[in-house]
Amino acid sequence: MSAPAVEIRNLRKRYGAVEAVRGVSFSIRAGEIFGLLGPNGAGKTSTLECLVGLRDPDDGEFEIGGVDARKNPQVVKEKIGVALQSTSLPDKLTAREALVLFGAFYRDHEPVDGLLARFGLEEKADLPFDALSGGQRQRLALALAFVNRPSVVIFDEPTMGLDPRARQELHEEILKMKADGHTVLLSTHYLEEAEKLCDRIAIIDRGVVVATGTPRDLMAGSGNRQSVVLRCDRAVPRAWIERLPGVVDIAGGEADYRLTTTSALQTLAALMPLLAEQQVELVELQVRKTSLEDLFLQLTEGQGQ
Amino acid sequence: MSGFWQHLRVCVRLHFRNRMALIYGYLFPLIFLLAFWVLYRHEKVPLLRHMGELLTVSVLGGACFGLPTTLVSERERGVWKRYRLVPMSTGLFVLSTVLARYLIIVTAGLIQLGAALALGMTFPEHPVALAVVFSGVAFSFIGLGLVLAMMADTVPAVQALGQCIFLPMLIIGGVAVQLVSLPVWAQHVSAFFPGRYAVEAIQRCVTGDGFAEVGFSLVVLTLMGVAGFGAGVKLFRWDSQQRFAKLPGKGWLLVPLGAWLAAGLLAEWRGVSVVLRDERAAPAASAPLPTSIPEPTPTPAPTPVAAPTAVPTPTPSPTPTPLPTPTPLWASITMAQVSSLSFDVPPDRGVVAPFAASDEEPDDYSATDVETVRRNIATWKPGLVPDEIQAVRNYLYIAAVPDAIQMPVERFLPVVVFEHLSETYPKDKLIKILTWIALHPDDGKVLTSVSDVGIAGNVGDTWIVRERAYLYAIKFIARLTGRVTD
Repeated sequence: MSAPAVEIRNLRKRYGAVEAVRGVSFSIRAGEIFGLLGPNGAGKTSTLECLVGLRDPDDGEFEIGGVDARKNPQVVKEKIGVALQSTSLPDKLTAREALVLFGAFYRDHEPVDGLLARFGLEEKADLPFDALSGGQRQRLALALAFVNRPSVVIFDEPTMGLDPRARQELHEEILKMKADGHTVLLSTHYLEEAEKLCDRIAIIDRGVVVATGTPRDLMAGSGNRQSVVLRCDRAVPRAWIERLPGVVDIAGGEADYRLTTTSALQTLAALMPLLAEQQVELVELQVRKTSLEDLFLQLTEGQGQ
Repeated sequence: MSGFWQHLRVCVRLHFRNRMALIYGYLFPLIFLLAFWVLYRHEKVPLLRHMGELLTVSVLGGACFGLPTTLVSERERGVWKRYRLVPMSTGLFVLSTVLARYLIIVTAGLIQLGAALALGMTFPEHPVALAVVFSGVAFSFIGLGLVLAMMADTVPAVQALGQCIFLPMLIIGGVAVQLVSLPVWAQHVSAFFPGRYAVEAIQRCVTGDGFAEVGFSLVVLTLMGVAGFGAGVKLFRWDSQQRFAKLPGKGWLLVPLGAWLAAGLLAEWRGVSVVLRDERAAPAASAPLPTSIPEPTPTPAPTPVAAPTAVPTPTPSPTPTPLPTPTPLWASITMAQVSSLSFDVPPDRGVVAPFAASDEEPDDYSATDVETVRRNIATWKPGLVPDEIQAVRNYLYIAAVPDAIQMPVERFLPVVVFEHLSETYPKDKLIKILTWIALHPDDGKVLTSVSDVGIAGNVGDTWIVRERAYLYAIKFIARLTGRVTD
């Protein structure tokens, strides 16, 4: 197996009394799309900002392309392309000028016209930054991330604030990056985005990685569990639910429950007579295979996601 | 290095695309220059004596407002955060940013200088020294601007912080208000600000002896600049989320503060913080005045003529019109010389050499002063000296000194003086004496105070008093010869 393109070990970052990142570790293989998934405030952005040199970590080691990023940040910056949550440039700087400027910061850089064409900015090349739409600005941010022919591309919440069409275009662009052989690390709190784009995912919660793997492995790791959504016409005692066979996790309460069970059949077979006996009517009943969303909610319980 | 040059280019280019930056960077200095020109438009060499103040204000505006406002605004918007992702060092980013600002300030200074030359200013005495000193001033103030940018979290904060430095420097720091007009305590305070050293050094290059006189100022400005740059780089912030209050290393602020303190203490120790009156007048009087007075025709050498400085000044005599020599100097003045004087002087209703109309009544406060002068003028000793030219010159100072101080009574005293002179001297004689004074404005003694006639106050700059006396001499002649009727 080849050396990881990115490796983070025991990263820690504290802001005053708050420890935002508490020993995060993961590695990314060359050529894969790796997603950092977590609710707002989980520590995703802090992790990425430490990795790209925007913040000084309190502890930890990280390597990009085999180079120690803490010891040789300038070398690492030559190898990576970064698009932040929102990229801001001087208002009156045109897209073309921005690409020329940022290209000049690197030893090796892409021709400006090629980048403009690739990211659909040819017609907007000479417009100032403040005249570009949100989608065009995001495309320019992507073009800037590619200006130095990076081997690793890092995106922090790349689709946040974009309309569905712009989001779709960006998804296609990210998949194209993978096809071109780039390693991509992206943070997101959109589950469908992670499921659609990522080869592997690290779920991060309260500064800690709580699960890592491919979306399929993560769901398989839940043991082919099933999710049961139950809504009744009146409250059902939690003790009844806890005693049901197969139930491994309970969310919700009163008249609305979301159960994770190893066997929906056994669970429901025991539940129905109980409800009938107490004359509780079912308003809604759903049974489905555990999704990434269910897994995410289980793992990040208490974060309001 | 290509990133450095590209960033420098972009900084300069963006400046010229920013309308507000152009207004503040170029238009305001020109407006300031025009205001000075209007105020001193009667000077034959306008603006020459004010280039120190004008250029310093331009540098201050560009370095202490323009630079930090741009830096903080870009940091607030996340531009600098994006820059931090590229492999160029903080030092090079700071260097390209301040170099761009220096070029912007230089162009503003050149435009201001060019406009002043177009308005009739003569070329600076020491252009090379001026270029060096101007760069030193820019370096010092850019260092200060860098510190301000690192201290302020937001654009409004940088504006407020800039005003806290800018206004004291203008008012008691010797930038907008000349040191000569400041009380002694303010001169001591000004020694701790870079503004006065900037004004002094630039002015010495324009009208003084250039490098020979600017050593101390240049050392002080360099010291302050190095301290500012050092602290600015150490405190440099890329991200607006890094708030100044939580920033480590705030102790670096002590470096520029220490430099300012050291400069002030050094000036005190050298005894140069308070400028003596004669010293203050020297550079000003040396340049513009001799060329500011029209020389209509070659003055026939009066015979026998003693050099003006050799005019005897006997002890005061009780008689109003003593004749110290058989052939007085003024007697050689011809009507042709009177006619060839330039009567293009500031209007009577202006702020320079004002002259009340006959139907104008002073307010109660000024009326008291006018009455006091009317009462004292006939027995005022400087008006009774045997040298009639000096006596008339002294009377002119009764009008000139309050005008230089800009006292409320200034416009009414010329009327009193004119009436007294008209009553004391025959008309033809008075015209000739006044013409002699107008043709020899540098001669004789100058009074900087007329408190013994009842008007309190003191003028530091003798040049201004001589200039105003000259203007009143012209205005009196205009009235005596019927060129002006009131």
